[in-house]
Amino acid sequence: MEGQISVADITLIVTAIITGTLARVLTIKEDYRQYPSYPNGYIIHLITGFVAASLGAVAIPALITKNYVAVTFLALAIQQFRDVRKMEKNSLQTLEETEYTYRGAAYIDGIAKTFEARNYFALIVSFVTALTIQLINSEILWLNIVAGSVVGLLVLYFLKRISKGKVVGDIADVKPGKVEVRGSELFVDDIYVANTLGMENASNLFRKEGLAAVIYPREDHFRITLDNFGQRQAILFEATRALGLKRYHFTRKDYKEGRVIITLVPIIPDQDGLIESVKNTPLLESTKKSHAVLQTNIVGSE
Amino acid sequence: MGREPTQKPNYEILAFVTTNQNRVLSGKQLTLLANDEEEQKTMTQDIAKAMKADVVQLKSKDYLIIRV
Repeated sequence: MEGQISVADITLIVTAIITGTLARVLTIKEDYRQYPSYPNGYIIHLITGFVAASLGAVAIPALITKNYVAVTFLALAIQQFRDVRKMEKNSLQTLEETEYTYRGAAYIDGIAKTFEARNYFALIVSFVTALTIQLINSEILWLNIVAGSVVGLLVLYFLKRISKGKVVGDIADVKPGKVEVRGSELFVDDIYVANTLGMENASNLFRKEGLAAVIYPREDHFRITLDNFGQRQAILFEATRALGLKRYHFTRKDYKEGRVIITLVPIIPDQDGLIESVKNTPLLESTKKSHAVLQTNIVGSE
Repeated sequence: MGREPTQKPNYEILAFVTTNQNRVLSGKQLTLLANDEEEQKTMTQDIAKAMKADVVQLKSKDYLIIRV
C-alpha cells in the first residue's frame, strides 16, 4: 500500500526507539548521591530520553526517503536538550535554600550538563541502531533487530566509558581527622578551622559529636582542583547529604601542605560514611585542569 | 562555611556583648553592657538562640553574635 509505512521501517524505528530509551534508562542511576530519587524526576528524564531516542530513530528513514529537510529536526533536538539542562539547573537552584548546605553554582552546572549529555546518548544510540539495521537490511527480521540492538548497546558502553568523570578519591587520600575544641576555636589535626564556637553548648556539641575528614592530595598540582571553592562546596554538600546535618559545617584549606578539612556535626555519626562520601564526590568539570598542557615546551609553541 | 578572601563576605554582626563600658560604641549592631560575666554569657546565649546565630568569644572575653 503506497503511502503507508512498511514493516521493515516500523521494525527499524521501534527497535531504535527502544534501544535509545533503554540507553537513557541505564544511565539514569540512583547512586550514593540519591539524585534523582523521586518518581517524578525519573518520569521527566525517561520521557525526554524517549523523545531523544525517537528523533534519532526517524533520522535514517527520513534520509532514505530523500526527505532531507526533515533532518533539520535534529536542531530541534539540540534545543530540547538545552532546555533539559536549563530545567535541571533551575530546579536545583530553587532547591538550594532547602538543603543542609549549598550545592554551589559549579556543581549545579556540572549536574545539568550531565543530564543534557545523557539525552545525546539516547539520540546517538538510537541513531546508530537505526543505521546498523539499515546497513544490514537482511530478509530475516530478528537478525536486523539483534544486530541493531547489539551495536547500539556497544556504542552506549563506549559513550559511558568516555564520559565517566573522576572522583575525589582518584586524586587524593581521605583520612579521619582529630577534632579538638580549644576555648571557642575549632581545630582539626592541629589546623585552625573556625572560632564560632563561643558558647559552651556549641563547643560541647562539637567536642562530643563532631566528625572530620582530611583530604591529602596525592600530587601537588591536584591542590589546584581541591582548593577550588566550588569543589570544596560540592564535597561539603555530599557529606551533609549522606550523613545529615545537626549543626555547624566548615571547610578549611591548609596552605602549607595542601590538606583540605571537611568537618561537621552530623545526624548519623558515621565516620566511614563521611570518608566514603568525600571520596565519591565527583571532580567538577569547571575545576579540572590538564596538568600536561601546563608543562614547559622547550621546543616552543606553534 | 568559611568564605574565601576573594569572595564577598556574607557575615552580619547582630550583637556585641561586653562587660567593659569603654567598649560600648555606636554602630549598626546592638551593643549590650552586662554587669558581670555570668549575665554576659546568659544574654549572649539568649540572643544567639533567638536569632539562630553563632557566637564568637573574642580574646578580650567579649562576645560577638554573628550570622553567616
